[in-house]
Amino acid sequence: MSQSPRPEGPLLEVDRLAVTFYTPRGTVRAVRDASLEIGRGEVLGLVGESGCGKSTVAFALMGYLPGTAQVDGTLRFAGKDIAHLTPSELRELRGNRMAMVYQDPATSLNPAMRVGPQIEEVLREHLALDTREATERTAELFDSVGLADPTAIGRRYPHELSGGMQQRVMIAMALACDPDLLIMDEPTTGLDVTTEATILDLVVDLKQRVNAGILFVSHNLGVIARVADRVIVMYAGQTVEQAPVREIFKNPRHPYTAGLLSCMPQPPGEGEATTRLRRIAGAVYSAEERAAETCLFAPRCPMAQDTCRSAAPDMAEAGANHLSRCFYRDDVRPEIWGEPEPRAAGSSNGTEQILDAQNLQRLYGKERRKYILFGPPVRPPVRALNDVGFRVDRGRTLGIVGESGSGKTTLARAVVGLVAPDKGEIRLLDSALAGEVEQRTSEERAALRMVFQNPTASLNPKLPIRHTIIRSLRRFAGLDRRQSRERAAELLRAVGLDPSYLDRPPGELSGGEKQRAALAGAFAANPDVIVADEAVSSLDVSVQAQVLNLLEERQRELGTSYIFITHDLGVVRYISDDILVLYAGHVAEYGPAKSVLDPPSHPYTEALLSAAPVPDPDAAPTRIRLPGAVPTMREAFRGCFFAGRCPRKIGPICDETPPPARTGPDSPDHVIYCHIPVDELAAMQREAQALEAK
Amino acid sequence: MAIQELDSQVAGGGVGALLNGAGQKIRRALSIVLRTNSGRIGFGIILVYLVLALFGSLLAPHSPTAFTSEDLEIRLTGPSVDHLLGTDKFGRDVLSRVMAGARSIIWISVVGTALGIALGTTMGMTAGYLGGKTDQLIMRAIDILLAFPGLLLALLVINIGAQRISDPICINDICIRLWPSKESWLVILTIGIAFMPAVSRVIRSATLAVKPLEFVQSARLRGESAFYIIFREILPNIIPVVAVEASIRVSFALLLTASLGFLGLGVQPPTPDWGLMVSEARANLASAPWAALAPALAMGSLVVGVNLLADGIRQSVRLPLSRGETQ
Repeated sequence: MSQSPRPEGPLLEVDRLAVTFYTPRGTVRAVRDASLEIGRGEVLGLVGESGCGKSTVAFALMGYLPGTAQVDGTLRFAGKDIAHLTPSELRELRGNRMAMVYQDPATSLNPAMRVGPQIEEVLREHLALDTREATERTAELFDSVGLADPTAIGRRYPHELSGGMQQRVMIAMALACDPDLLIMDEPTTGLDVTTEATILDLVVDLKQRVNAGILFVSHNLGVIARVADRVIVMYAGQTVEQAPVREIFKNPRHPYTAGLLSCMPQPPGEGEATTRLRRIAGAVYSAEERAAETCLFAPRCPMAQDTCRSAAPDMAEAGANHLSRCFYRDDVRPEIWGEPEPRAAGSSNGTEQILDAQNLQRLYGKERRKYILFGPPVRPPVRALNDVGFRVDRGRTLGIVGESGSGKTTLARAVVGLVAPDKGEIRLLDSALAGEVEQRTSEERAALRMVFQNPTASLNPKLPIRHTIIRSLRRFAGLDRRQSRERAAELLRAVGLDPSYLDRPPGELSGGEKQRAALAGAFAANPDVIVADEAVSSLDVSVQAQVLNLLEERQRELGTSYIFITHDLGVVRYISDDILVLYAGHVAEYGPAKSVLDPPSHPYTEALLSAAPVPDPDAAPTRIRLPGAVPTMREAFRGCFFAGRCPRKIGPICDETPPPARTGPDSPDHVIYCHIPVDELAAMQREAQALEAK
Repeated sequence: MAIQELDSQVAGGGVGALLNGAGQKIRRALSIVLRTNSGRIGFGIILVYLVLALFGSLLAPHSPTAFTSEDLEIRLTGPSVDHLLGTDKFGRDVLSRVMAGARSIIWISVVGTALGIALGTTMGMTAGYLGGKTDQLIMRAIDILLAFPGLLLALLVINIGAQRISDPICINDICIRLWPSKESWLVILTIGIAFMPAVSRVIRSATLAVKPLEFVQSARLRGESAFYIIFREILPNIIPVVAVEASIRVSFALLLTASLGFLGLGVQPPTPDWGLMVSEARANLASAPWAALAPALAMGSLVVGVNLLADGIRQSVRLPLSRGETQ
């Protein structure tokens, strides 16, 4: 992308880095063999699944590893071997010339201190600035990371800032000493796609403005494609492929890279997903194992030969500026992961209505009055859901999308009865459901099951895997101890786990395995609808593909319907038949998936689509950015709920009149709540797309 | 294959498997206790006292309670070969009395603590899980109990239930109490009630940390009863908190028992009881300090042992998951 002139050689060279942790429970080889180099003005993307050692590399560079870690290999900074530096030089290097931005800005900032002084402190300590200079410089820094009104921001506490603003403050702090090397460890992972897009814009902008090297660690290929100039792929603690970003995405030369790319659901806006996701079977080579003299990827590799199991490959030339740790690097192509299988049609055959929700409303918190019992109301309750309705037919999938704070999770919890709606009605088949799960009948509970986001917490860590499954079977299917045990084994097999897992504690399972066990528990009740709240969000892409394929198979076999909540538009597009777009507790758009994702879309949908990272370095950066965050709604909006952030706001009407429901052109079921007529919306959006394509 | 294994387990090997499971649990608990140095030392000290509690009166060189007219001749004599820790004002062997006295105090404080923990855990989990009005009701009642100083509360309970039936059964001048007397039960009840409020606070907060976790929600969605969720889903996850709390509480219980004994409100003479012994020897503190010092030191070392063990447990157990850790 950008030319990176390196007259004085690379800024940082890492040669055969290995990091081993000696713990009482055994030796963990977090990094086995990682080599990389970063030049000035260059963004190096470091990508891989969890447990591959990406973050450990970042921490090793910063010298932030605990005493139990043994670090081998050489690190050269501006040509000098770090091992030969004196402790004070090392401190100077790591304090002033290198800086790090962490994944979670909320815990990286001191919550008891205003953000301005936190940066001024760094400036006074490291650059010996006086108070006035430090204040001025802080304002400059805030300005350079795109924080409007820098002086006002500096006076706020971290909790008064949104996640995106906090991350900008962290980046400003990292830039405070004008570092030569900036390490960013998953800086956008906890943020919404819309915020992520603005932070990524900032990184791209910084690359051009600041003459520093940036090491950008991420598990998200879409994010990497957006910011990186060169990419290194890590697997099981080894760097397995290194190439310029376009090469990695267009011409991967390691089977792992090719696999990662082929198991990602395609980003929205590229027609309908017609082929099934491919998947990488198995799990990452355990960091507790001593490296065998083999290719560590061989157990999961579809093209592994005897050579791969008897010798360890080294990084070798696979083209210009392209290295790969594979013996058969010239034979790598996407098809090694299987020919594209067409998705079996028929998931949308049913028309029998299972679930129907109307006018759901939910408030959080009690109304407070000024003098406790008397006086005018202060702080009215938060309106989490406002007049939301949808229906789910048998064998179909409803995707629910929106930023955090849009009411997705409240809606999911209202459906299963974990929160009772204040108004509105949910009907299952022909009967109205009680609000609280405790008041529903056993059949109703069996019909609506939920799978949670966090697989680690959804299984009781102190009880074996069988507990949830058998308990569901005994309660819902009325099986006795022995029958339920047999059935539980079948259910585990159906989700691709060995029945021996029944007696294992959840702690021994990986995240994907736990999520599949949780799914087995959900299917145990033979439900009509499974509500999946961000059920694949915490999983690695290869595991995510396994779970998505599994869900799809079960739907075809059993006709189960899903309500699938996610912030990942690629996943939504892949799995959904219908999509509900929520914003601040309001329905922005609702309809068949294709109609929602194609123009005309609600301006909010359009902004979400525009922000979604695309795993293609050639994809033009899209233009629509949503600043800020979803407002917390305590009073009904007078006008349109989205008016405050809408990039296509047309005038005072948006602030004064609630938007009308407009029907889309393709389908009578497609509803857009917007003042702009649908044909005008469609025209605007097509025009914008055409502009970006150029 | 796994199913067949299961069948045999269900059909035949049930009891064996259960015993095996219990053995495994004991082994795991021991490994937690013995993981740290303080745990090891504490465990060693406690082991000595446990042996004394079980066999103390049998191992004692002299009778701990009976005394003859010859014994009265040697009352308040200092340590000698025959009486390693001297004699008390009735000429009884102090060493024997200390050895025999271990039983009542350990029995009372351990059972008392167990009662307090059981009450407190039940209250705390119920308040924490149910929340709302139930929580308010339980916690305000507990606040009232907490407003009383521990000893005052103890005096209150004992006085309310103070129908003392003291004399142990003596055969041929040898009075060995194989089972604690009624007033021991009163002390146990006292300890239980005195400990319940503080324990329930700790347990309530631990419960609140577990309650929002998904597996609890998922049990609600299965339609499990509150009772089932509290004891089957939540309790196993807060057992580490309970264990730490219990181990700390035992030393408080020892001190409370000794204080009550000292005040004459616990077990009654002539039963050897450390608190009582200190109280009885108080009058002769200047001329025969050993009679008071020996039980006091025994008490002190036992409390140190318990505290070391508690410390060891606290260091080794993993406290339950909080939101952050599960991510």
